[in-house]
Amino acid sequence: MTDLSASNSSSLLTEDKHTKKRNAAEKRFRAYGLGAIILACAMLVVLLVSIVSNGASSFKQTYISFPVTISQEEFDAAEGSILKTGAYNKMLQSALLSYLTTNDLLGEATEDDASGLVSGEAAADVRRLLLANADVIGTEIDFTILANGRIDGYFKGRVTRETAAVDSKITGAQLDLADRMTEHGAMITKFNWRFFTNPDASVQRPEAAGLGVAILGSLYMMAVVLCLALPIGVAASIYLEEFAKKSWITDVIEVNIANLAAVPSIVYGILGLAIFINFAELHQSSPLVGGLVLTLMTLPTIIISTRASLKSIPPSIRDAALGVGASKMQSVFHHVLPLAAPGILTGTIIGLAQALGETAPLLLIGMVAFVKEYPAAYSSELGLFGEASTALPVQIFNWTTRSDPAFVERASGAIITLLIFLLIMNAFAIFLRKKFERRW
Amino acid sequence: MNAVNRIERPVNMNDIKIAAKGVQVYYADTHAIKDVNVEIEDKTVTAFIGPSGCGKSTFLRTLNRMNDTIDICRVTGDIRIDGEDIYDPKVDPVQLRAKVGMVFQKPNPFPKSIYDNVAYGPKIHGLARNKADLDEIVEKALRRGAIWDEVKDRLHAPGTGLSGGQQQRLCIARAVATEPEVLLMDEPCSALDPIATAQVEELIDELRQRYSVVIVTHSMQQAARVSQKTAFFHLGNLVEFGETDKIFTNPEDPRTESYISGRIG
Repeated sequence: MTDLSASNSSSLLTEDKHTKKRNAAEKRFRAYGLGAIILACAMLVVLLVSIVSNGASSFKQTYISFPVTISQEEFDAAEGSILKTGAYNKMLQSALLSYLTTNDLLGEATEDDASGLVSGEAAADVRRLLLANADVIGTEIDFTILANGRIDGYFKGRVTRETAAVDSKITGAQLDLADRMTEHGAMITKFNWRFFTNPDASVQRPEAAGLGVAILGSLYMMAVVLCLALPIGVAASIYLEEFAKKSWITDVIEVNIANLAAVPSIVYGILGLAIFINFAELHQSSPLVGGLVLTLMTLPTIIISTRASLKSIPPSIRDAALGVGASKMQSVFHHVLPLAAPGILTGTIIGLAQALGETAPLLLIGMVAFVKEYPAAYSSELGLFGEASTALPVQIFNWTTRSDPAFVERASGAIITLLIFLLIMNAFAIFLRKKFERRW
Repeated sequence: MNAVNRIERPVNMNDIKIAAKGVQVYYADTHAIKDVNVEIEDKTVTAFIGPSGCGKSTFLRTLNRMNDTIDICRVTGDIRIDGEDIYDPKVDPVQLRAKVGMVFQKPNPFPKSIYDNVAYGPKIHGLARNKADLDEIVEKALRRGAIWDEVKDRLHAPGTGLSGGQQQRLCIARAVATEPEVLLMDEPCSALDPIATAQVEELIDELRQRYSVVIVTHSMQQAARVSQKTAFFHLGNLVEFGETDKIFTNPEDPRTESYISGRIG
């Protein structure tokens, strides 16, 4: 630049002003892009770390393990009483007390402290066990029962001696007792299978709350969505893309489908409430209604992705089929559809994944209900599809509204479970795409 | 059996296979083909030449009603194959296309095996009673497509894995597998290299023994090499139609002469 003649002769070894400017712009753009990606990755990492750090502990659970002997008389008396689980609770508490005293673990803790360690759910569990296996009555068996949620929290670091001091539901003496029992092997931490099999539990018993009904409900809903949305969506797209004559009506339909994909999902919930529950009088909070609502919501997604993949098939394939005398339908079903299948399946699975994580429309059709028991198939003519159930995202929503911090852990655990389901579905979509992809 | 009788007839007494009278084609408001009258003979190669956009491909596609697939396209006039009006409401275009095969500009084998490519037409038309029948049809078609020797050891390899020229010959084999009477070819060599082009041209000459071949081409040399009759299209009009030798050596219309000598096009 100092040498005027050099800039005029424009050597290739020096960048001229214009090139410098262009290169700088390019570098800036790359930096923006990189920055955006780094930011997004950082957010993702923060999200995952916070969810995993909150929720990973929900896959472990603290149990109390001690020997209990329940005689036939006690069993009969308990079954004869009005508050059956109350009677079992007393048996468990006395058994625990005698176990603690014989092993000299009680220390300065009171009897109430000791019985406070046991989860309110434990008595029902024991009763269920006894009803199922009558032969254990009268023998000494090692019961492994749920510990109270606070005790569980103590071993997971959620409850400390400081919080225990201001918490009316747990005392320092109980924590000391828990420590002694752990040393003695009476308090153990195991993988929490019940998190995946138990139904929801009351606000008082976070330790017993599980995702069983929610997973079941979600699976049933996905089955409904898959069985309805895939055939309807694919048939609609094939008709619109391959058979329908282009006219203003198809244009209107096309615009409307695109708009429907953008309609807030809660609107579908209102629609479902009006049509399926109020008009068709289907059982509210049932997977059938949930599935129908999610089908409505997923259809535009499936139609749009199916049409896109049908469009991407070169017209030369259609010509080739028609040219050898195939009918329109043969050309579509023998040639176009198999080639479009990977795209259609990917779109469908992404639509399903979206439906799996959808909460808002389900709230409006009553799937937010507290479901304490597994649905019983025989009480509805629609089987399990017509029974009150819940769904994974709604269960998360439900748990996050509860005040006990133990439910934050449960909710995070449920989020991890939901994310794993989504990951599996997406991996399956990628697998299908790779498997059926054909090149020409 | 019919084929044998036909071959025995002298070449210069060919019947009229396709007779088109007053054909008009409109794309929405565009008048693409203007009042075309042409008679295409059996066992003859007829070439359609003309500059791009002159309507020769459009006209070719009216002969097996491939234009039906285009919503905005409208065809009027009278096109008869063996005296039957192919635009009669009673005619099923699917049956017509089995009789009038087509080969496209770009080789477009199905992304399936070579065997399946050829077997597809006979299968959907129910031409084979069993597997052995089908094998025979496939072999015969591949032989007529002059590609049998190259692919006989890999019939179950994908058709899309062949070279461009092989793919085009496979497409020709696929077209002849349904035993058509007329073979329409829409610029079959435009995507091929000179060697593959020569092979396909040789094949076209052989196909003349059995079929009435109509070929659209951009290459005047090709038209001169393979065809006996040539039609020159310009701006949607059929300008001149006659013996290929005459069109190329002594055209009647000044537009034909200009095109052939390279002044328009």
